[in-house]
Amino acid sequence: MNKFAIGCVGVLVVIAFFVVVAALGLMGSYNRLVKLQQSVDQSWAQVQNVYQRRADLIPNLVNTVSGAANFEKSTLIAVTNARASVGRVQLDPNKAPTDAAQLEQFQAAQGQLSNALSRLLVVVERYPEIKANQSFLGLQAQLEGTENRISVERGNFNTAVQSYNTAVRSFPMNLIAGMFGFSPRPFFAAQPGAEKAPAVNFNFGTPAPATSPTGTP
Amino acid sequence: MSVNFSPVHVKIGKVGRFGKASLPPMIVDSSVAAGVSPAPTTTQPARLPLQRFRVKRIASEVDRPLRGRCQTSPASPPFITSSAERSIHLIIITLIFVAVTSHAAEVIPPKPTGYFNDYAGVVSKEAAPRFNEQLAQFERETSDQLLVVVWQTMPSQSSIEDFTQRTFQAWTVGQKGRNNGAVLCVFVKDRRMRIQSGYGLEGALPDIICDQIIRDGIAPHFRAGDYERGLATGIDLICKAIRGEYKGSGQTNLERHRGTSGPFSFLLFLFVLVIFFIATRGIRRRGYGYSSLGGPFIGGWSSGSGGSWSSGGGGFSGFSGGGGFSGGGGASGSW
Repeated sequence: MNKFAIGCVGVLVVIAFFVVVAALGLMGSYNRLVKLQQSVDQSWAQVQNVYQRRADLIPNLVNTVSGAANFEKSTLIAVTNARASVGRVQLDPNKAPTDAAQLEQFQAAQGQLSNALSRLLVVVERYPEIKANQSFLGLQAQLEGTENRISVERGNFNTAVQSYNTAVRSFPMNLIAGMFGFSPRPFFAAQPGAEKAPAVNFNFGTPAPATSPTGTP
Repeated sequence: MSVNFSPVHVKIGKVGRFGKASLPPMIVDSSVAAGVSPAPTTTQPARLPLQRFRVKRIASEVDRPLRGRCQTSPASPPFITSSAERSIHLIIITLIFVAVTSHAAEVIPPKPTGYFNDYAGVVSKEAAPRFNEQLAQFERETSDQLLVVVWQTMPSQSSIEDFTQRTFQAWTVGQKGRNNGAVLCVFVKDRRMRIQSGYGLEGALPDIICDQIIRDGIAPHFRAGDYERGLATGIDLICKAIRGEYKGSGQTNLERHRGTSGPFSFLLFLFVLVIFFIATRGIRRRGYGYSSLGGPFIGGWSSGSGGSWSSGGGGFSGFSGGGGFSGGGGASGSW
């Protein structure tokens, strides 16, 4: 009887030991997933931050440029409309998007604003009094800096999402991730057609060009 | 057909029993035939005297070449042969290979030794140490790390913003947590330059100020060909813009670390040495292989740690990245 009892206790102790080890492993993995998800959310907040910075520069730019004589209104209208549509696609700044379609919509709106801005800057080339304007030069520098910041923060976001997705998908942890509801997050992808350089129409001869690159906003 | 080797003879060889045409006669031990487990030793067929002689001669032929070697024991000749040592060598070779090839993807220039680095040689020999000391003193006063690097041409094929950003992140300019670093990169042959500020200096050195410094401060001198004056103006303007944001500790990052790491690195070295000797003590009886392996290692380590102690003086203030990062802010310009 003694041997049997000792045997039972021994088996229970071994089972308890393995349960404790598994629980500790589970805890460690869960905490790691939480930490990675937090870094993804933090990078997303930074991305929103720099996009907002660009959006805040737009009204200044429009004011500076529209003061010039005979400035082409359609370009300005395109920029203003693109800015408004960006304001409509609002994603939660504290939580990275879980839905790839949502992220694409956000990216499309921002891309539209980028296109409108670059067209505006090209058109400004034709107005030497704007180009020499100190406040415009400052705004142009700020816009370039903001675009650079956007690409840097998107790169950081993609890196964070990559680490998180790798952890969520790799074998032992994907079971835990499934249990607690951690799912892979979408990346920032390059816009379709980004590999082609945009065709730019420099028409410096006429102040009111017939072949304007701006279409309907 | 029955064979007579043992007291019991057995008749085997029926056609078709195992589906084969014929079966050779089997020698069966008497105990097997009786149904008891067989004896441990099997009887060997009798050897012919001629065969024994032949085996012996072959053995002597094999022995002769071995006698010519210095040692017959498996101890090592001058190069290492034991499996433990071989695996260590394999690990070292793999690590070296990985270290060498892992940076082949993107070009990141090696960390600079000083604050003012003129790789293009456009500044005079007296001005370079002066600038270096000015920037080091600036770090002592304000803890902001300001680097100036002049290249002939950009070492990478990507854009100037991307290259500067990656370099900034790799060199970790600026103090950890404060991120108060700034870098002025000049590419002489490309005629482009960029000022990039870390996260912590984006308030004092925003894009507009960087752009103004480049356009109004540095570019006119560069256009005239006076690189020294342009760089001096740039350094002065940047320092004026960011002075007062942060307070310094009176020491550069390198000075602060060198003071505390001396005794620490010595202790670490002793500790590693002790571990190494304990590990090799058990294997030393294999031969003289390990003593030759240990010699160059110990020599290399002691010279490495000794070198870091001796370069304290000399008047050159070195740069050591503080762990700061940049978000891509700043401005580029050309002349």
